[in-house]
Amino acid sequence: MIKLRLKYKKHGPIRFLGHLDVMRYVQKAIRRAEIDIKYSEGYSPHQILSFAQPLSVGSTTDGDYMDMTLNSMISVEDVVARLQDNMNEGLDVICAKVLPEKCENAMTSVAACEYMISFRNGKEPSFDLKDTFERFMALDTIPAMKKTKNGEKEIDIRPLIFRGEITDDNKIHVLLSAGSASNLKASLFVSSLYRFAGEKEPEFAAVYNRIDTYLSGEDEDGPYVVPMITDVISDASFARTLGNEGKIHV
Amino acid sequence: MNEKLALSDEILLSISKPERYIGGEVNSVVKNPDDVKIRFAFCFPDVYEIGMSHLGIQILYGLFNEYDDVWCERVFSPWADMDNVLRQEKIPLFALESQDPVKDFDFLGFTLQYEMCYTNILQVLDLSNVPIFAKDRTWDDPIVIGGGPCSYNPEPIADFFDIFYIGEGETKYRELFDLYEKAKEEGVSREEFLYKCSQIHGLYVPSLYDISYNEDGTIKAITPLKEGVPAVVKKEMCTDLTNAYYPMKPVMPFIRVTQDRVVMEVMRGCIRGCRFCQAGQLYRPLRERDVEKLKEYAITLLKNTGYEEISLSSLSTSDYSHLNELLDFLIDYCNEHKVNISLPSLRIDAFSLDVMSKVQDVKKSSLTFAPEAGTQRMRNVINKGLTEEDILRGAHEAFEGGWNKVKLYFMLGLPGETEDDILGIGDIANKIAVEYFETVPKEKRNGRTIDIVASTSFFVPKPFTPFQWASMNTKDEFLDKANITRKGIMSQLNQKHIKYNWHEADASMLEGILARGDRRLAKVIYNVYKRGCIFDAWSEYFKNDIWMEELEKAGLDILFYVKRERTKDEILPWDMIDCGVSKEFLWREWLRSKEGVVSPNCRQACMGCGGAYYGVGICIEPKIGVN
Repeated sequence: MIKLRLKYKKHGPIRFLGHLDVMRYVQKAIRRAEIDIKYSEGYSPHQILSFAQPLSVGSTTDGDYMDMTLNSMISVEDVVARLQDNMNEGLDVICAKVLPEKCENAMTSVAACEYMISFRNGKEPSFDLKDTFERFMALDTIPAMKKTKNGEKEIDIRPLIFRGEITDDNKIHVLLSAGSASNLKASLFVSSLYRFAGEKEPEFAAVYNRIDTYLSGEDEDGPYVVPMITDVISDASFARTLGNEGKIHV
Repeated sequence: MNEKLALSDEILLSISKPERYIGGEVNSVVKNPDDVKIRFAFCFPDVYEIGMSHLGIQILYGLFNEYDDVWCERVFSPWADMDNVLRQEKIPLFALESQDPVKDFDFLGFTLQYEMCYTNILQVLDLSNVPIFAKDRTWDDPIVIGGGPCSYNPEPIADFFDIFYIGEGETKYRELFDLYEKAKEEGVSREEFLYKCSQIHGLYVPSLYDISYNEDGTIKAITPLKEGVPAVVKKEMCTDLTNAYYPMKPVMPFIRVTQDRVVMEVMRGCIRGCRFCQAGQLYRPLRERDVEKLKEYAITLLKNTGYEEISLSSLSTSDYSHLNELLDFLIDYCNEHKVNISLPSLRIDAFSLDVMSKVQDVKKSSLTFAPEAGTQRMRNVINKGLTEEDILRGAHEAFEGGWNKVKLYFMLGLPGETEDDILGIGDIANKIAVEYFETVPKEKRNGRTIDIVASTSFFVPKPFTPFQWASMNTKDEFLDKANITRKGIMSQLNQKHIKYNWHEADASMLEGILARGDRRLAKVIYNVYKRGCIFDAWSEYFKNDIWMEELEKAGLDILFYVKRERTKDEILPWDMIDCGVSKEFLWREWLRSKEGVVSPNCRQACMGCGGAYYGVGICIEPKIGVN
């Protein structure tokens, strides 16, 4: 039995697929590619396949992940090539890595997500992004209303913003807490920033690109987050500029 | 994948299911527009999920795209939210693959699967900026062509179409495309081109016919307007199904659609001859696909799609002569490859139950019987060769095999129906419950019990059936009958095990008007569309009041279309079409139905329907006789 983690990117029209549809799409591609994936036992067997952090419809990504359990394979490269051959353009596998068998699956181990947030033409904020962002990040607490299953509740999002900067081309680059325990959606971060600036957020102003998805860990310097695969790290990522072997202490 | 989208991000993020409009699905075909001579927009005039579940569109899409000079793309009705956006933003309707406006295409083809989609045809034309009426179109507009079951009585929508293709699409499109390319090269007028189309077998050009009416509203004459225009257009048919084109790479929607599986058509046509069934007549004679070919298809289709389910498709799969062999093969292959097999339209008997127990979870699945009528007398009238004994025996065997859910389908309003026939519905449902309690002793029920759902639909007479002359019930009659059915079920001993559903009567009435309607209905369809009617097939959008008002304004009598029994000598609106089955045969069957006489099926004996003209399939097989 082999546990494989794949990093993929998603750009172009396929970004309008919902998370469940992306999963169905990949499941069928795996079957077409004749990858020897393991199936669950029971009356209606399903592929042992797990996706990390769902991405909002319309967003692009350069660093999403899936884990799959295989019965056998020729090589990691062969699995990647077959899968790549059986998918349409838009969703592309970047790299893959064999995991130790006892590893947590992609779904449960996510700790943070990194985003590059830009604004659609004509919908840029009128406030000074850099100055506002600096004052925003200097706050001790940032209350925000988070939508939950039972309505809304107030949370403090400040501790959930691990890193942030305004890039030279006026984009917001952030590392936000993610995963089942303390998830901060990038859209909630953006609307909080607008609220802080005292400006109404126009609909569909922000464009989100996920740069990478992170796991958590701890070493002598304390807790850190690290991209789920460190072999290929985007040039735009904090993990490349700040990280030591990809680790960013938080 | 085409990076260009016709819609902005803002629009795609603000409407439901943007995946309906972006194209780019696996196996969708993208060509270079400069490399083709014909751009064909193929439209199923309903929402994406319904249209993408249709086999016919997959067949013709694949076939057309095999031609180097043709690029076929798909178009569906934009859902109501998108319809609003397109109108407000003045965005012309586009085809999915290229995202190019439909108006720039050479052909706009509609598949006409049910009457209630007619206003959606107008929606698609209108949103595409193509003139709704054929007479207003020029060479700047696509040639608008319709096909499918409703094209056998195309008259209510005749004014909106340039051409109707009568019959199965596999045969004549190449000829039509060649004619089109030649016409464009020679620079002939659109009228001249349409006239030449009328010379191709199977193509009906409605503008070349004049319809005159008698004072009583019936048709006086159907007159071809030009010399050489055929008085009758005969159905085109695929004579060699085994070697006909079949799409090995069907387009796979991103979103879950109604038919989310490999669909393999095992045969076309039906031997049964149920007198209410239009498909059973239109697709005659029965033609089977070779079983070895189907085995190959199954493997290739599953490999090319990655689907985890395969479904066998036909009007009556139990009648496929190599079903046993095919299923043995599929069960082996599918078990090994973790594929489910779904088996719609199987007759319930020992064989099918054995197969179903191998491919389905008995505890979850339900048995389906379609007795269609409550008494044997009525079933003889409609020539439904299913007896109460068959049903109870099938149910008995199924209960022994562990099933305990039963679905029953009936029709109300069949010709000559009496109260006894209606009460028979409750009766048969009760007998099935009794059969369960007698078959499965209490200690073996493990807390489960029998669960029966009886559904009734209202019978709508269709063209090219023996009931094309029949009187249809009115809404009040229908609702009375549904009430009698309900009371009949309530009075049964086991009534608490029987659930009863019935369809809406308003929609059935309109379906009845459109199914046997004539050209005078075109302005009604146009007017209701202008008043906002679309998606009539969806009960939440169906606005019956507007239809009724516009019918009245047009001076058309509903009862004339639905209630009136036609006489033998009446010219029917669809008499310029020949579906391969003769009017004489249908009339004989109509008389036999009135006598309650059953007719043998095509495998038993030939009733001389006219289908033998094609010289293929069941018509040239030896008959086994009536036992």
